Amino acid sequence: MNNGLRRYGIWVVVALVGAVCWGMLALARGETINAGWLLFAALASYAIAYRFYARFIRDRVLGADDSRATPGERLNNGRDFEPMDRRVLFGHHFAAIAGAGPLVGPVLAAQMGFLPGTIWIIVGVILAGAVQDMTTLFFSMRRDGKSLGQMAREEIGPVGGAAALIAVLSIMVILLAVLALVVVNALAASPWGSFSLAMTIPIAVLMGIYLRFLRPGRVLEVTIIGVALLILAIIGGGWISESSPYAAAWTFTPNQLTLALIVYGFVASVLPVWVLLAPRDYLSTFMKIGTIALLAIGIAITLPPMHMPRFTEFAFNGQGPVFAGSLFPFVFIIIACGALSGFHSLVASGTTPKLIQKESQVRPIGYGAMLAESFVAVMAMIAATTLDPGVYFAMNANPALLGDSLQSASQAVNSFGFSVTPETLQATANAVGEDSIVGRTGGAPTLAVGISAIFSGVTGIFGAALQAFWYHFAIMFEALFILTTVDAGTRVGRFMIQDLVGNVWRPFARTSWLPGNLIASALIVAGWGYFLWAGVNDPLGGINQLFPLFGIANQLLAAVALTVGTTILIKMGKLRYAWVTALPLAWDAAVTLTASWQKIFSTDPAIGFFAQRAAAQQSIQAGKLNDTMAALGAASVDDARQILVNTTVDGVLSILFAVMIIIVIVDAARVWLGIISGGKEPEMSEAPWQESHLDSEGHEIGREPVGAGR
Amino acid sequence: MADSPLLRPFRYARDYLKEISGENAYDRYLEVHVATHPGKPAMSRGEFYRWRQDDKYNNPGSRCP
Repeated sequence: MNNGLRRYGIWVVVALVGAVCWGMLALARGETINAGWLLFAALASYAIAYRFYARFIRDRVLGADDSRATPGERLNNGRDFEPMDRRVLFGHHFAAIAGAGPLVGPVLAAQMGFLPGTIWIIVGVILAGAVQDMTTLFFSMRRDGKSLGQMAREEIGPVGGAAALIAVLSIMVILLAVLALVVVNALAASPWGSFSLAMTIPIAVLMGIYLRFLRPGRVLEVTIIGVALLILAIIGGGWISESSPYAAAWTFTPNQLTLALIVYGFVASVLPVWVLLAPRDYLSTFMKIGTIALLAIGIAITLPPMHMPRFTEFAFNGQGPVFAGSLFPFVFIIIACGALSGFHSLVASGTTPKLIQKESQVRPIGYGAMLAESFVAVMAMIAATTLDPGVYFAMNANPALLGDSLQSASQAVNSFGFSVTPETLQATANAVGEDSIVGRTGGAPTLAVGISAIFSGVTGIFGAALQAFWYHFAIMFEALFILTTVDAGTRVGRFMIQDLVGNVWRPFARTSWLPGNLIASALIVAGWGYFLWAGVNDPLGGINQLFPLFGIANQLLAAVALTVGTTILIKMGKLRYAWVTALPLAWDAAVTLTASWQKIFSTDPAIGFFAQRAAAQQSIQAGKLNDTMAALGAASVDDARQILVNTTVDGVLSILFAVMIIIVIVDAARVWLGIISGGKEPEMSEAPWQESHLDSEGHEIGREPVGAGR
Repeated sequence: MADSPLLRPFRYARDYLKEISGENAYDRYLEVHVATHPGKPAMSRGEFYRWRQDDKYNNPGSRCP
């Protein structure tokens, strides 16, 4: 009893703290709720899940065995296989999984109020997202670091494997387009932002030369130099936009930025990595982790109140001006990263499993890093909901609905049921050093306003608020690592295409062969470039149209990962525990298929692609806009033509994604039934057991510490 | 002075950053190389980091958005 109290007493306290915080979030009266409640509700929930649920999965479900050598130990070559200290590997893994996704999704979902998104982020990560990451990591580790696609092929079959491959490639294209669109929306008509971001190119090249020729391997030195130059570039941007004659020269239209990004993406994919990609990678990784840490400290110090209500009417009527569709299923689609992200299964299979030191460390690395990403999403939600809701809607609603002036934007916001004066909109823009903040969709600018308010609240204590600087610092931080993802993603896509075509025609697979490099890079850039261009010129707002598609694609990949996990659990004879991955799979499939169904078949033209398409077609035939098109925000018959093309492409993609999910699940169910009915002997491709000679700190048992670890 | 407990967190942070940024990777490579291929010449620091960088991005893993 006494022992039990000592062991679990602290957890009773944590549970009570969590329960009180959740209670305040759900029930507290008053205009605003302090973000601190949300912060501690999240932390308490994570702690309990990590201590109990993750441990249950590790010990009972997966049966992690520390006497079994990991691939990092068995195949240690000091290069890609190596037993790495768990704290260091946690950092690497977190840096690889945390990108712009957890920052953007919650901002968009905030239109439904802070509670639906928050609940999904926290409950989703505990029961689905972190489980997916941890199980995929574990199963890949038991197979010497095989990729998700390979595991799908070997454990499910060639059909499931092919579906997984197509899913990965199409997600990559949509993802790159959506992220690039976020950058375009953040930089359009902003000389400050455009200048600062353009300067990252010469800074990266400088760092690249330093690392390649002057001081190889001195990453810390060069990163310090890079970050210092970056700060100078942000200060320089302020000078360019406010007191130099060059402001007009650095002001770009969305289409100019689109072209610049496409050219940049192609060049970066073709060039040797040391010139741009590798140094930019260091810079953005350090900026990312640094800014996230600062944000956590900033929120903890300022404890800002959240102004967005718990629920807005858009949660139920599906008429939201940021994206259309009601709470179920769209909150679960829009917030992917941070709650459940299929993309992580690509990181968790491949690089990380080859570096694990002990099997049991899949808990801190797989489950723990995903909890950390979820916490990033919670902070993004806090930053977005601390804004005045009127300002939030004026920034994020479909620009076609907002009109061209502050007055029209203010009226539009009133028509959504919120209020903001033109003066407030102008004052907010002035405070962050921009001409206007109206219709700045994509999430990044909203987050930057929120972050700048929090940071200037901290520096304001020391007498210097610097909100405009912090706004552009935040924009820079987001744009920088989005561009890194665009570089790296284009390269990954290029390699995938070279590999695919290489099966048919050998020379193409050689990644050093220049023509193959150029053609494959051009193909992948053309793919995302098309969607980017279509999104930028979409009369109905590109983010509004494309982001749900990206979410569906990402959750499709999660379905593949959870299906592979369930299959392997059944093959291991753990049918009793298969619910651990099967339940999130069922939820994910329900969400994704419902969303696909609505996107394909809904008769509401704000949601259904084909309903939109029909209205556009009608307008084109009649030669003038019908009421439906006009209500959505189209301004001319030319707009209707554009909408016709976009909705056709988006609609066909939605069908493709839905069919993929069904194929993967049905194909796997065939395997499950075969095993459960006893008809088939389960075939597993696990690497055989070998004894481990490392202790949990990575030291060789019975010898002096050598090599691996610290 | 050098191992004062007050400085311990800073030393820990410095070691962690060195480890995570790969600044220690060459030393580690040398240890493994000497242990597994005694007598064979090892790569120089510059060669090692150039090889490492190229290798990393020629086998790119995916990363999350």
